[in-house]
Amino acid sequence: MSLLDDPKAAFADLSRPEGWVLGVSVAFVLFLFVAMLTGALGPTYFLFLVGLAGMYALLSFGLNAQWGFTGLINFSVAAFFGIGAYGTALMTASGSPIAGGFSPLVGLAVALVVALALALLIGIPTLRLRADYLAIASLGLAEVVRLIVLNERWLTNGSAGLRGIPGFFDGWPVLSTFPEAMPGLRLEVIPGSPVILETAFWQASLNVLLVLAFAGAAYFVLRRAHRSPWGRVLRTIRSDEDLARALGKNTYSFKMQSFVLGSLIMALAGVFYAHLNLYVGPGDLDPITTFYAWVAVILGGSGSNRGALFGGIVIVTIREGTRFLNDVALPIDPAPLRLLLIGVVIVAVMRYRPQGVLPPQRELIWPSAVGGGGTPETPDSGVRERKGGDDDE
Amino acid sequence: MTVLGYLANGLVFSSIIVLGSIGLSLVYSIADFANFAHGDTMTIGAYSALVTFGAVGGLGGAVLGLPYGFFLALVVGIAVAAVVAVATEKLIYEPLDVDSIGLLITSIGIAFIYRAVIQIRFGSDFTRFDVRPLRPIEPLVPYGVRITLHDVAIFGSAVALVVGLHVLLQYTDLGRKMRAMADNPDLARVSGIRTKRVKLWTWVIGAGLAGAGGVFLGLFNQLAPRMGFNLLLVIFAAVILGGIGSVYGAMAGGFLIGMINQLTPFFSNVVEALPIRPNWLATVIENMITIEYANAIAFVIMVVVLLVRPNGIAGEGAT
Repeated sequence: MSLLDDPKAAFADLSRPEGWVLGVSVAFVLFLFVAMLTGALGPTYFLFLVGLAGMYALLSFGLNAQWGFTGLINFSVAAFFGIGAYGTALMTASGSPIAGGFSPLVGLAVALVVALALALLIGIPTLRLRADYLAIASLGLAEVVRLIVLNERWLTNGSAGLRGIPGFFDGWPVLSTFPEAMPGLRLEVIPGSPVILETAFWQASLNVLLVLAFAGAAYFVLRRAHRSPWGRVLRTIRSDEDLARALGKNTYSFKMQSFVLGSLIMALAGVFYAHLNLYVGPGDLDPITTFYAWVAVILGGSGSNRGALFGGIVIVTIREGTRFLNDVALPIDPAPLRLLLIGVVIVAVMRYRPQGVLPPQRELIWPSAVGGGGTPETPDSGVRERKGGDDDE
Repeated sequence: MTVLGYLANGLVFSSIIVLGSIGLSLVYSIADFANFAHGDTMTIGAYSALVTFGAVGGLGGAVLGLPYGFFLALVVGIAVAAVVAVATEKLIYEPLDVDSIGLLITSIGIAFIYRAVIQIRFGSDFTRFDVRPLRPIEPLVPYGVRITLHDVAIFGSAVALVVGLHVLLQYTDLGRKMRAMADNPDLARVSGIRTKRVKLWTWVIGAGLAGAGGVFLGLFNQLAPRMGFNLLLVIFAAVILGGIGSVYGAMAGGFLIGMINQLTPFFSNVVEALPIRPNWLATVIENMITIEYANAIAFVIMVVVLLVRPNGIAGEGAT
């Protein structure tokens, strides 16, 4: 926002890690862009990556609403992601054993309703538990959900998964035929390596548009919510639940609200994934998805939505980068390498920067509350970090 | 299979769960965090034994259908698991300046690193120990009990280890210090106990038992890089059922969870025989109590225990 009003001051205002992240991100985007122009990176694949990054950002936003705002250790991210994906897939896919053939909008609605029900089902028993018990219990319940999806063949098609999921814009007035209607473009920026934009590219760009809409909406809702009185209660619960209770807040109810909000956003990520991948299977409920989201959030900075966005991009880089590395340079199986990198990132963050790369600072304060313009004074990090609900108890 | 058969299988599987849950419970109470890398410590033990056994071979004779070399491999598996755990504590956990939740999250990273290293070295496929598979013990087959001498070896070794731990905890100086620390770390410290050293010993014992459990799990089923992580939640269920911080509770919880896990097919037979009134309820229950859901049942028990009796069946003072 301030970037639009006064770009120069906004840049001068960045803290050192912010400047770093901005610099690295810009360099990375430039690198990808050059790779695309030289033909090393297909534009359709590039858009797929952007879509994937958006999806992980959504997952991280959802987790951030639970862990970053309220301090709920939810290890059932994969369950909500999977339920969102299955919810829409069961409604829309041609291979669906129960319904199928509905519009993706119906799928979206059903996915959200099912995710809401699941959030209540998991939340009601577990949210009263102590933090570490909540972690174990939610991981256990996520496994239960995965086992049900895997074994109830009449409902979910079991291990075969669901095929024949339409794109999200299928059946929409203009957008459903948009990819075919667009002409195939042939750009030749660098002589000899043309970039060809075809139907698949336009399809992918629609998907990117969709995830941008989802992520943008989630971002603004969360940002608004985090600064609101409601968000302040959540932050109080995070740093001292007894204090919030002493102030007369029904902490259980607030925790439930933040849990449901986060879960719905995760389900949204699942819906997007189902219509991006056009196939869902029980493997999508593997706990690794949960930990991807966790890495994104703790790396970015718990409680920080910008951080979650950054974390989502890092996750996609790790996920797809290991695959790329396997194809090009080192013949190491990408799966364990990815696992190793994720593990190393977790340990390194906890060791060297437990508050994350972009801990929430100014984003928690209404802009109008910070000075009356001019150069804001150097943030007194101690006070602000405590206000931002840093992760010490 | 008869009830006796299921019970016998349950006893063997329980031995493995008990070995895992004791270590997890000890670390939970003394190092004060839920160690998500515990399952992968078991995997490390199993693969170290695999490598050792491959290197030394049978070494002549055999006990209970297992060559001497296997027992040497077991010892190496225990030792490697303990050494890795101590090294992790020294290098990673000790220098960390985070609370117990931070340690929990770190331990997930550690778990991934362990598993990734094993997977890079050995691939993600299943392997087995190079031990000749045995036929079930003949005289027991008429009773419906189909266990091999290997299973007897697993059970016997687990009992020996558990008894050894009991003696250690009750009658040695270290055991008294450990119990004091589990009870109240600050009080233990001001009474002059070197808490850091006791903590290291806790890691040695906990990870060593986990390593043994991993070797036996590999013998009972097979080895895979995910074997420990897949068992981790079942072990957590056992620890929570027994009450976090109580070693004897962990033994009881491990025994119960292992039994319930292996008795699931028997329960499903019982449920089918029972006259449950509304038909839909009968269908639901019959569908839910099947072998596919054996682990899910353990997880649900865990959540129920957390809700109604968070201190577990033998818990002491866990809040």
